[in-house]
Amino acid sequence: MKYLKKIISLLAVLIGVSILSFMMANISTIEPAEAIARRAYSNPTQEQIAKIRLEKGLDRPIAVQYIDWFSSSLQGDLGTSYQTNQPVVGEMADKLKATLSLTGAALFWVVIFVVPLSILSATEKNRFWDHLIRGITVLGISIPSFWLGFLLLIAFAISLPIFKVVDYGNINSLILPSITLALPVICSSVRILRATLLKNMKQDYVIYAKSRGLSSSRIMWKHILKNSLPPVVTIFFQNIGMMIAGSAIVETVFSWPGLGSYFVSSIINRDLPVINGCVLVFALIFVLANTVGELTNRMLNPRMISGKELVTIA
Amino acid sequence: MLKKIFRNPQAVIGLVMILFITLIALLASVLAPHDPMAVNISMKFLSPSSEYPLGTDQLGRCVLSRIIYGTRYSLGIAIPILFFLAVIGTTLGTLGAWLGGWFDRRLTIICNIFMAFPPLVVVLALIGVLGQGILNLIVAIIFSMWVWFVKVIRSYVLIEKNKDYVVASEIVGCNSAQILLRHILPNLFPVMIVYFSTGVASIILMISGYSFLGLGFGTDIPEWGAMLNAGKQCLYSKPMLIVYPGLCILFTASAFNLFGEALRDILSPEEV
Repeated sequence: MKYLKKIISLLAVLIGVSILSFMMANISTIEPAEAIARRAYSNPTQEQIAKIRLEKGLDRPIAVQYIDWFSSSLQGDLGTSYQTNQPVVGEMADKLKATLSLTGAALFWVVIFVVPLSILSATEKNRFWDHLIRGITVLGISIPSFWLGFLLLIAFAISLPIFKVVDYGNINSLILPSITLALPVICSSVRILRATLLKNMKQDYVIYAKSRGLSSSRIMWKHILKNSLPPVVTIFFQNIGMMIAGSAIVETVFSWPGLGSYFVSSIINRDLPVINGCVLVFALIFVLANTVGELTNRMLNPRMISGKELVTIA
Repeated sequence: MLKKIFRNPQAVIGLVMILFITLIALLASVLAPHDPMAVNISMKFLSPSSEYPLGTDQLGRCVLSRIIYGTRYSLGIAIPILFFLAVIGTTLGTLGAWLGGWFDRRLTIICNIFMAFPPLVVVLALIGVLGQGILNLIVAIIFSMWVWFVKVIRSYVLIEKNKDYVVASEIVGCNSAQILLRHILPNLFPVMIVYFSTGVASIILMISGYSFLGLGFGTDIPEWGAMLNAGKQCLYSKPMLIVYPGLCILFTASAFNLFGEALRDILSPEEV
C-alpha cells in the first residue's frame, strides 16, 4: 500500500514534469514555425511560415499539441530534430551512451575516494590529515568545474602531453573529464560524511562496542560507517542526476559528444523537439535516481525516520 | 554570537575575504588602471608590464582592469538573486510549514515537480526560450532555484514550530503573525545566514558556468565566466587568460563557503 502510494505520487510528478517541460520549450519568444522556416529559407515569407505551421501541426492549441507529444513520447517517439531531420530518440540514444560512460567513470572515483577520505579525516580530527582534507574539500566545492577542466587540460594534455585535448572512445579519454566531473561531488560528499561520522562516533553504541572489546577499525567500518551512510547515499543518488545534467559544462570543455553538449547546442539552435526531449530525459533520470536513492536508504536502514530529507543546492 | 565569530579563525578568514572582494567591487573605478572595455587591437596579448600588470587579452584590453570590474558583475548579480530567493523562500516556506493543510500539500506537490529538474536544465531551457541576456539569466536562475530555498526554509520552520517556546507564546496569546515574525524567524536567522552564505557561493559558480557556456553575457562584458569563455580560444598560447578569472571565481566562492561553513560549526558545535 505504501509503495502503491509512492508509485502514484511518482507518476503524478512525472506527468507534471512532462507538462512543465513541454510548456517551458513552448513559451518561446520566437515562434517555432518561424525558427524552422529560417533554417529552410534564408528570408522566409509569411506563406512559407504558415505552410510549415500547418505541416508540423503548430497551429493547433497548445493543449492538443501537448497531448499529441505526450502520447507519442509514451510510444518512444519524441519527434524529429529541426536541425538534422533525424528522429530525436535515435540521436539521443548515442549521446546518452557517451554521457552515461562519463558519469559512470566519475561515480567510480566518487565511490573509491569518498569513504576512505572521510574516515581518515574523521579519525584524525584536527590533526594534519584532517586539516589537509578539509582545506582541499573547501577548494573543491568552490572551484568552477569548467575551470578545473581547463587546468587539467593545460597541465596534462598541453604541458605534459599524457592525454589528448580532444579525444573520445577509449579509456584514456575518460580520465580527465571524469575527474573534473567527480571532484566537486567527492568534496561535498566527504564534508557531509565526515560530519555524520563525527556525530555518530559520540553515540552510546560506540562505547558499548568498545567495551565488548571490538577493534576500533571494526567499530568504524562495521558500525559507525553503516549508521552514517544514509545522508551520503541520498546525496550520491541526487548527484547522479546532477552529474548527468551538469555534464553540459564538462562536456563543452572536453568536446565530449554527450547529451549535455547536445542539449546546449539545441538551445543555441532553438531546436524545440530536441529541447523538449532532453528536458524530459534529464528530469526522468533525476527523478529515477532520487527514487532509487530513497529505496536504497530504506533497505540499508529500515528504521530510518521517513520525511527526514537532506536538501542541497547544486 | 559575534564574539564566537571573531574567535573562529575560519570565519574571520572568510569574512575578511568577503570584505576584500566587496571593497574591490565598490572601488573598481578607482583601482582599475584602464577602462575594462577599451579595445586596442595593436596592443593584444601583451605580457605583464608596469602599464598592464597582468598583460592584455585577445582584444588588447587590460586584464587586471577587467578582473577588478568582474567583481562587480559577480557580486552585483549574485546578491540580488540571493535576495529574491531569500524573500520567496522565506515567505512560501514559512507559510507552508505554519499553515499546513491544503496550502502545504499543494506547495509540496509543486516543489516536487520543480525539484525533478536539475537547476542547470531549467536555466538552459529557460534561456533557450527567453533568449540570452543578463536579466533573463537572473530570472532563469531564480526560477531554477526557488524551490530549493522554499524546501530548506520550510523544513527549518517545521522543526522550530514544534518547540516548547512556540506553544508557550500561543498560550500567552500571541497571534500567528507575532509568533512567526517576532519569535520563529529571528530564531532561524542564524541558520538561514549559513544557508544563504553557501548559497551565494553556488550562485556565483552557476553564473560563471552559464556565462562560460555563452549564455547571459556578451564577450565585451568583463564578467569572469565570459572572460573564461573568450579565453578558451587561446588555451594553448595564453593559458594565463584562463587562469586569472578562474582564480577570482575560486577566491570569491571560497570566501562565502568558508564563512558559511564556519558559521555552521559555530551554531551546531556537536557536528564539528
